[in-house]
Amino acid sequence: MSDVKDIEQHILRIAQIVIDELRLEDVTQETFDPDLDLVDELGIDSMDLATVALVLQDEYGVSIDEDDYPKLKTLRLIAEYIRTRLQEKAA
Amino acid sequence: MTNRTAPADKTEGKWKFGDLLRDARVRDRWEKVRKYFFLRESTYDMTNRCNIRCDGCYYYEGEKQFAPENRDPGSWRDLMRQEKERGITYVVLAGAEPSLVPELLETCFEIMPLGSIATNGFRLIPPAVGYKIHISVWGNDETSRRVRNAANLLERQLDNYDGDPRAVFVYTFTRQNVHEVGEVAERIAARNGKLTFNVFSAPVGYEGPLRHDRSSLLLTRRAMLETMERYPESVLFSSYNVAAHTHGQGLHALYGCSYPRRNASTDIGLGRSFRQYRADLTWDRSAACCVPDTDCDDCRHYAAGSAVVTARLFRHAADPDTFRSWLDYVDTYLSVWVMGYEKGENLCDRLVDPPGFSVE
Ligand code: SF4
Ligand code: SF4
Repeated sequence: MSDVKDIEQHILRIAQIVIDELRLEDVTQETFDPDLDLVDELGIDSMDLATVALVLQDEYGVSIDEDDYPKLKTLRLIAEYIRTRLQEKAA
Repeated sequence: MTNRTAPADKTEGKWKFGDLLRDARVRDRWEKVRKYFFLRESTYDMTNRCNIRCDGCYYYEGEKQFAPENRDPGSWRDLMRQEKERGITYVVLAGAEPSLVPELLETCFEIMPLGSIATNGFRLIPPAVGYKIHISVWGNDETSRRVRNAANLLERQLDNYDGDPRAVFVYTFTRQNVHEVGEVAERIAARNGKLTFNVFSAPVGYEGPLRHDRSSLLLTRRAMLETMERYPESVLFSSYNVAAHTHGQGLHALYGCSYPRRNASTDIGLGRSFRQYRADLTWDRSAACCVPDTDCDDCRHYAAGSAVVTARLFRHAADPDTFRSWLDYVDTYLSVWVMGYEKGENLCDRLVDPPGFSVE
């Protein structure tokens, strides 16, 4: 799979996880802007991020460092972070 | 309850979050507490006066006591509106003595309906102010007279807040009053009051007789566990609260404090949103924490723990007992701080290690 397709797939899945975990009602997997700032624009807090991080760990089988939360600012950044972690794991 | 179930699958040797939630009681508790993840606090000094004077009071340390009071309800109304706009959902009204300005408490409550007040309980806060009310108890009557210069304080507190669903009595364990908790708890339980525990956390530079040492912390631990067992209906606490607050290491060493005074990051969480306003409505990031001018190395304060331990969800999702313990802690904190929130039965009765530390 190309890198771009790979990231797009991850973004869709991550969007669904964020929607489910944070019970977002006015957005769908398809309409979730991958570059929306989850903290500044969506108003999610560290507890929400921790919840999402725990579910992502389960989903992808990678570890997410607590100190990396500030890097998980958008769906796209999360997807890139996960991809890097998966590549590190595979290496 | 400490039964373990084997993880169906493991992520790099750790329990999966989904496995931790498989137990129905755990999942229900998780769903119960997570509804409150929207709470975002800031704290506010309401006055620079108090009607009593206690040894070891952290309010009268540092600069905050010199801020002139702003007693204009309009200014407070504006402040509350601004706070709401920047995402604050919960207010802690404290220092020095909020009951002296009931009209300002009413103003805050009109705009921000979720919050709590820290008071010495000497004066009744009007029932119209629907915040949780934390009434500080520092020992039996004799000790209160000696340390706080207040006679019959507990009787007065109990009379003022008899049957009041807002009230939680907060017993502060000092090095000197550990053995008095039994008689105090008995009196509070006899009036169907709710009781939680605080651990005296010395102000910066304080070397007086109330400061804990290792042996008084261990005695405190035992006294907390005994009192919890004896008065389960009255005491709002859990084994993990005991482990976290009587540890030889303070909260900052154990968990890494998230308040701005200790946390340079403004990316997310308390470092981003928390402010501690002085009585003149100014604030200072370098001093901002819920117990400013407390010695961070000695910080075991219940208010600090509510945010500091709770914020460490990720670390506690490590194994069933650690996660259950964290849930007990959050459940306790919400029952102490949020009106209408009822504490459930604790899920883990054993003293679990704080992540990365031994409880001993
Ligand atoms: S009641 Fe509270 S504010 Fe007043 S002197 Fe005692 S500790 Fe300080
Ligand atoms: S006194 Fe406690 S709550 Fe305040 S900054 Fe220090 S460790 Fe954090």
